[in-house]
Amino acid sequence: MSPGPRSSWRFDAIGTMWEIEAPHALPDAARAVVRACIESFDAEWSRFRSDSLVSALGREAGSARAPSDAAAMLDLYAELASATDGAVNPLVGATLARRGYDAGYTFTDGGASAAPRAWRDILTWSAAEVALSESAIIDVGALGKGRLVDLVLDALTPWAPDDVVVDAGGDLAVRGGPQRIGLEHPYDPRRAIGIIEVTDAALCASATNRRAWGDGLHHVLDARTGEPVRTIAATWGVAPTAMVADAAATALFFEGGPRFAYERGVEWVRMTTDGRVEWSPGSKAELFT
Amino acid sequence: MIRTTAVPRTVRVGAAAMGVMGAFALSGCVASGADAASEGADSTDSTPSYADGTYTAEGSYATPESVETISVTVTLESDVITAVEVSGDPQARESQEYQAKFIGGISDAVVGQDIDEISVSRVAGSSLTSGGFNKAIEDIKSQASD
Repeated sequence: MSPGPRSSWRFDAIGTMWEIEAPHALPDAARAVVRACIESFDAEWSRFRSDSLVSALGREAGSARAPSDAAAMLDLYAELASATDGAVNPLVGATLARRGYDAGYTFTDGGASAAPRAWRDILTWSAAEVALSESAIIDVGALGKGRLVDLVLDALTPWAPDDVVVDAGGDLAVRGGPQRIGLEHPYDPRRAIGIIEVTDAALCASATNRRAWGDGLHHVLDARTGEPVRTIAATWGVAPTAMVADAAATALFFEGGPRFAYERGVEWVRMTTDGRVEWSPGSKAELFT
Repeated sequence: MIRTTAVPRTVRVGAAAMGVMGAFALSGCVASGADAASEGADSTDSTPSYADGTYTAEGSYATPESVETISVTVTLESDVITAVEVSGDPQARESQEYQAKFIGGISDAVVGQDIDEISVSRVAGSSLTSGGFNKAIEDIKSQASD
């Protein structure tokens, strides 16, 4: 079996670069389905657009019909919040916006503010509806991109049932494989600190170097304080779904992350800001130590 | 009552303990002064600022998975610390266990390798950002340098 040239489709969506790699070029119908899938997720969950469901809900509180992903994502958020003692919180949107990571990308720091600790009293959800008892901004950044990668992978099944890679700028899902993935050095994008092989699984990465702006600010904030995390520089998680891998990659910035990963069966690697590297029990990552 | 300002060695010992144990709040030491046990020592020489004796205080610090407590016992003679013992820490075994169970290993140094020189299909790191984010950052940089 000689692998011919594979097809790669690249596009920009939800603020990141996507690449979908398959043995053959995806037909227009497949691309349209992928586009629609991303658009519909963004229209529901993006706090960066004023016409999204979460933006509308955040302005007026009250309730809205539940998007199809609400229960899966918010249930996992509840687990993450509990595992990290509140460092991860789905109502961190206002905290992020205040630090400058807002819909207008102003990057103007308005200071640290904690997200509501009792978020479960404010945000409730069921299969039918999502409700906010007061104005708040839902941010699904801890696992939303992973969820969307899973959705896109599923949507591609008719065209690429057993050999496809969906890569949303570092959060990726592989059907088939193995794919050898380099773990980008958080302080030098030309280098890798190791390699993980991924077969029929997802790998999500998170790092504090790129979505970063003034005064050491970046997008991974501790919801309890509104301060950016300082100990961990980059994380990688491998799991059966990208949503769980993404959630673990976020949790690993905080206390309780390794336990969450253990309980969810996530293989992981993380690098601290002082240059140490840690990995999960049984990790098969090849690390350049 | 132990006041670190007048007993320089306490500061040093305290710093060493922090180095070993990780950062922890010493407030417990101050707060528990009332509990400190003082033994012996009715010193009559010169004018020591502190009564000789053995003092014990508890401190606590947060680890990634718990709040650990330690007990520090200090022996003072003529304002000089002659013995320090750090003990207690009954939860430390849990920390060891936590590490063994949830963390497979730790390496002090990682050597980056040139991505062009390793054989990988792709690279994963921080989310690659799109034009919008990058442009906004560039705008701000140029405003800042105007």
